[in-house]
Amino acid sequence: MTNSYVSSKGVSRKGGTFARRNLIIAAPLLPLLAYLGFFFFWPMFAVVVDSLKNNDHQWSFINFTTIAQKPYSTAFQNSILLGALSALFASIPGAIFAYIIEVRGSERLKGFVTSLSGVLANTGGVPLAFMFIATFGAQGSAIKILKALGVDLYSGGFTLFSFSGIVFVYLYFQIPLMVIIFSPALHSIRSEWRDAAKNLGATPKKFWTTVGIPLLFPSFAASFLLLFASGFAAYATARAMTVGNIALVPLVIGTLVDGNVQVDQANIGKSLAVGMVLISALAMIPYLIIQHRARRWQQ
Amino acid sequence: MAAMRNRLSFALPLTLAVASLFIFLPFGSSAEFSFRSYSQDGKLMHSLAPYRWIVEQPEFLSHLLLSFKIALFAVIFTAILVVPSVAWLHLKAQLFRPLVELITLLPLVIPVVALSIGVQTAFPDWLQSTEYELPLMYVVLALPFTFRILDNGLQAIPLKTISEAARGLGASWIATIFYVIAPVMRRAVAGAFFLTFALSLGEFTLTSLLHWDTFPTWVTSVSQQNIIGAIALSVFSLTFAFLVVFFASLSSSRSKKRMDATE
Amino acid sequence: MRAKRLVVAATVAALFTTGLVVATAPAQAAGKIDYCTVQNLTEAGGMDALVTAAKKEGTLNVITLASGWANYDEAIALFKKAFGIKIVNDNPDGSSAYELQTIKTAPAAKQPDVVDIGATHLGAEASDTLGRSLFTPYKVATWNDITPTWKDTNGLWYGDYQGTINIAYDSSVTPAPTKISDLSNPAYKGMVALGGDPSAATESFMSVFAASIAKGGSVDDIKPGIEFFRSMKQSGNFVTVPATGANLATGAFKIALSWSFNGPGFIAAAKGIGKDLKYVTPKDVVLKGSPYIQAINAKAPHCAAARLWEEFLFSENKGKFSKDLTAADIKQSGSKVFATIMGGQNIFNSGAAHPITEAAMIKKGTLIAPPAGFEIPAGVKVYSPTLDQQIPQQAVVKTMWPSVIQ
Repeated sequence: MTNSYVSSKGVSRKGGTFARRNLIIAAPLLPLLAYLGFFFFWPMFAVVVDSLKNNDHQWSFINFTTIAQKPYSTAFQNSILLGALSALFASIPGAIFAYIIEVRGSERLKGFVTSLSGVLANTGGVPLAFMFIATFGAQGSAIKILKALGVDLYSGGFTLFSFSGIVFVYLYFQIPLMVIIFSPALHSIRSEWRDAAKNLGATPKKFWTTVGIPLLFPSFAASFLLLFASGFAAYATARAMTVGNIALVPLVIGTLVDGNVQVDQANIGKSLAVGMVLISALAMIPYLIIQHRARRWQQ
Repeated sequence: MAAMRNRLSFALPLTLAVASLFIFLPFGSSAEFSFRSYSQDGKLMHSLAPYRWIVEQPEFLSHLLLSFKIALFAVIFTAILVVPSVAWLHLKAQLFRPLVELITLLPLVIPVVALSIGVQTAFPDWLQSTEYELPLMYVVLALPFTFRILDNGLQAIPLKTISEAARGLGASWIATIFYVIAPVMRRAVAGAFFLTFALSLGEFTLTSLLHWDTFPTWVTSVSQQNIIGAIALSVFSLTFAFLVVFFASLSSSRSKKRMDATE
Repeated sequence: MRAKRLVVAATVAALFTTGLVVATAPAQAAGKIDYCTVQNLTEAGGMDALVTAAKKEGTLNVITLASGWANYDEAIALFKKAFGIKIVNDNPDGSSAYELQTIKTAPAAKQPDVVDIGATHLGAEASDTLGRSLFTPYKVATWNDITPTWKDTNGLWYGDYQGTINIAYDSSVTPAPTKISDLSNPAYKGMVALGGDPSAATESFMSVFAASIAKGGSVDDIKPGIEFFRSMKQSGNFVTVPATGANLATGAFKIALSWSFNGPGFIAAAKGIGKDLKYVTPKDVVLKGSPYIQAINAKAPHCAAARLWEEFLFSENKGKFSKDLTAADIKQSGSKVFATIMGGQNIFNSGAAHPITEAAMIKKGTLIAPPAGFEIPAGVKVYSPTLDQQIPQQAVVKTMWPSVIQ
């Protein structure tokens, strides 16, 4: 987006300075930003401040040096892995499902799927854990059905209460999340382009490799990142399914800040939260680069 | 090409079948539990007894209505704050979109447990004493998703072009908003509203840590004494959400058809 | 002239002295009691006055009193019925840390009046940023019957009950487990669970501690317990799912280690899912946990009700439960009602918790019978790790548990 009124020094010939013009454009966004500032950044600031204090309420980096070591570093590794795996196994089925609905579904179905996905993306915690234990636990309905068909998963070593089990349960809300976030991007595969490609003699495969996938990739990457963040920070479901045997950062924060056993180490919990933000910020950098590059030719 | 089209025509029913299995098998297993009751000598029966028990509880209606109210206000706050901001972002302030997008992703990454501590240390007493604290926070929690839904929904529409066209044809700003912008945003806005509503109805962690007693926290306290009752409550909540979604999509498609017919 | 000046001087002195005396006389003597500063029943003006003041306040804020825990359901029901005071229970499933965090950060309307916390939370966590205690002193009428180790000399906090780690199991399990070391029996594959995360929940931590002692460890060494659970995980006996009612319903676990005082409530709830749950004190090791601690919040909004609640919880009365309380009973004067109802210490006992005044009550013969099956078998050694012994072992669990169990 260029601004022809701006000279190299940023002073415009017409309508005020570059800065002032941008201020006018930004002004209607201030309510949202102010809202976030108060209801989110200010509480988070309180957390950041406390994370830099030790148990005697003095400024210190001790919390951060502590969380860089075991057992906290293990928790970070596990959480990152959980976020990445749940995002990976959810994003591809979710994207395919969204595509089929978008291309083949009626308007009514699309609306229904979007809204239903909104509900499913918010399931979690004890109710979700119960649903899966009732289905895939040792006495679960699906396990019984499979046993009747001759397949005994549990004797083969499968268990819902493992790291992979948690990834599996997370798919229940991660896939709908993918559908919600990714569907609208599929509009951008304008049918005119598909027809044009067809008329030019391209096979569907050629269309996808040269036009479709490159076009969708930024949105896919962005959705993947969102799914990663969602799996990374999820708390209630993991808590309902483990007894501390799988170290995850949100769970550790929970025990430090809200536990029954440890004595006053809440500030380490806060530094863990800050650590989570930093890791997510790191993950967002490739996202920004991809978005920036894609935006240029997407307009 | 024709062969491929035939292959693809299986895709939708097959996908829907697989999706239905994935969604409703866990839900169904949970639902089966919710109809259980046991006689004194341990015999298993299936009936509506647990649901009758739920509805007979005096706290059921009060907690449900409270959660509804909170969810409704969360939707209203989203409508007032988020929808116009995203529309403006696409209309005039495209320069700021990456920045705002980045900011809105942040609430997703902060674990709610940490946020609750921040809220309690930072917010003034009067704010923490009103239950409207909850919808205000739920808007923040939903923001990463609602922003993305609205943003993506608008990305596919040349909003700037059509609104300038409307203005060029002589429409006032109000008319443009109501007759041009709002209809094209409808699906995205509906999605954002449903997500916010569902999030508010089911939010447990932040609510209990902020010392509030809403429907989800009440369900947890019920689970100590009446295990099946608590299961029935969860099934009820999810069923209710499903039904709302179902009926809402029926009515919206009718009006959409009407709109399509006039084009 | 001089006489007149003397008279004036004497009058001024007299007035001054009287004023001094009046100003420094205890407020109580003037007839208006500030219940927020009252430190015992005498200062409160007796039970009748305390009950009247509490009824006037009309509400009591409690926090994290879980249903089915040490029979708090009955204590709450009885208190409500006898005195007509509304009880607001914030987050019944919350933790001790949640209770103290609430005192530190919640707005005035949400402050709890009283807390019931795990003993490991006393100390720095129970003080504000300036090092002052979060609690206000109060010594109940039965103060002298409380074990000296478990009360603050100034009355800031006092232990109320303690439990033992028991084995809970579905009666369909055969053979019925009687010892903690039995749990590694291959017959129990896929059945054994803990209440929660041992690095977060006291009950689970004590369960691992009990297992440790059963397997040759001691109150200073919890590693054998962690190793026991690791080998059970390996063999498939230990299922890493929290031992909740819903998980019992789905058969995710059938045996758990649990506080004795969770027993009566859990057994009753299990009937609703068609399970006959049994609790048994292990024959190989009886681990008595540190008492939970009662205290009155310094910022308590309902000072008289808070103090009445504490008197109630520490009362050793052998009286009526809520279901037997009649309207005529309630109409009596405050002190008579108090004497009619079952005392909190006995209510704890009926919930399979050991009241802190147990020794004194046994001597006086005022202790009611505990529920069947919860008595400690004769001849079994009872272990009670002190706080100094618990804290280092907690650190061990926190470091080792996730890496060992996975």
